[in-house]
Amino acid sequence: MTENLHIHRLLDEAFAGVELTPDTQDLKEEVRANLIARAAELEESGVSPEEAARRAVAELGDVRELVGESATATETDAAAPRRGWDELMRRHRVKPKPGFVVRAVVWSIAAVVGITLGILGATGVLPIPLGAQIGLFGFASTGLALLVGDSLSQETTMNHPMPQNRAAGYFLATLLGAFGLGFAGLVALGSMPLWGIVFAALGIIASIILFAFLLASQTNRHKAWTRQMVAAEPPNRFEREPETAARFGIYTAVIWIVTFGVIVALIFTVGWWWTPLAFIGGFALMMLVLARMLFASEKR
Amino acid sequence: MTQDDAFSADLLRGHTDTIVLGVLRRGDRYGFEIYKTIRDATGGEHEIKEATLYATYRRLEKDGLVESYWGDETQGGRRKYYRITDAGRAVYGDNVAAWVATRRVIDSLLDVKDTADD
Repeated sequence: MTENLHIHRLLDEAFAGVELTPDTQDLKEEVRANLIARAAELEESGVSPEEAARRAVAELGDVRELVGESATATETDAAAPRRGWDELMRRHRVKPKPGFVVRAVVWSIAAVVGITLGILGATGVLPIPLGAQIGLFGFASTGLALLVGDSLSQETTMNHPMPQNRAAGYFLATLLGAFGLGFAGLVALGSMPLWGIVFAALGIIASIILFAFLLASQTNRHKAWTRQMVAAEPPNRFEREPETAARFGIYTAVIWIVTFGVIVALIFTVGWWWTPLAFIGGFALMMLVLARMLFASEKR
Repeated sequence: MTQDDAFSADLLRGHTDTIVLGVLRRGDRYGFEIYKTIRDATGGEHEIKEATLYATYRRLEKDGLVESYWGDETQGGRRKYYRITDAGRAVYGDNVAAWVATRRVIDSLLDVKDTADD
């Protein structure tokens, strides 16, 4: 089907006199595609192209009304979230369900007991056979995964509950990852022969792939009031002063280059086991600089 | 029978947000597709105006219940598609539950017999 060219002229006429902001430009393009589809439908039912275009645009009504609505809508919303965060938190407060709290405690206990007994077995403190050690780590991983999945499917003060399927996806990803780490631990502690690393790698890699997919396809879960608060929040210093952010970037690079130098020096003088100290020092220094620069008192 | 005349467009319009979310739950759509789905379901009349729908998309997007993205059509204008978010699904679920509960109350108050249970 050839494109109905009358649409473009009529659309321009309808939008004549409307101030062209990115917002109205956006709306115009959205309307254009919808009008073309509507006109094509009318043409299929035997209406002439010109008449189809005219009717499609007429059905739309007054465009200024559309634009006006969107403009006033954003204005009132910008003024609305001026109230305090605390008050809004109170008003939208969602208490955790008692059932969930009990379940969360049970899942946590399962995870802690499983990991503790598993490690005691793997290090030979307790005489637990390898099969049972694997079972214990499986038990612990299931506890952890249930904790993750169950928490995500709960409604909170700031978030809507996650749909069951997606929460189940996070459950599976956590289960695979935690069980994989459990296998890795068993191999590292010498309780399991080296081929166990295959299971560890499979679990961890599958978990990473699944987590990546879930995070990449994640859509908004915040409640409307939270989004408005975040939008109304004043930008932080790095957003207001890009040159400060750039300065922080350079400082960070310098800190890590020096840290690397210190690590090399430590390895050749006192031994490699002192290297974590240099790492901790570098990290602490970076955080201090971050605190000084991001939350510095305003000088005018 | 002119039962269609008895149809309450006002009642329908009061649920525009939920209706749009319900349409998007079946898959990503652009404006005209959403409009058409509603129009076909209501029997061809323009029960919900396009202007109302544009305002609805805007509000839903601002509240984070839908996300929009431009399609990659090469001709016929680029279409703005809408996709429902997790928050949108949750709100849709709440609204449907509220509607079912309200419908039950109204049915019993109005003494409607044939829709007691389904």
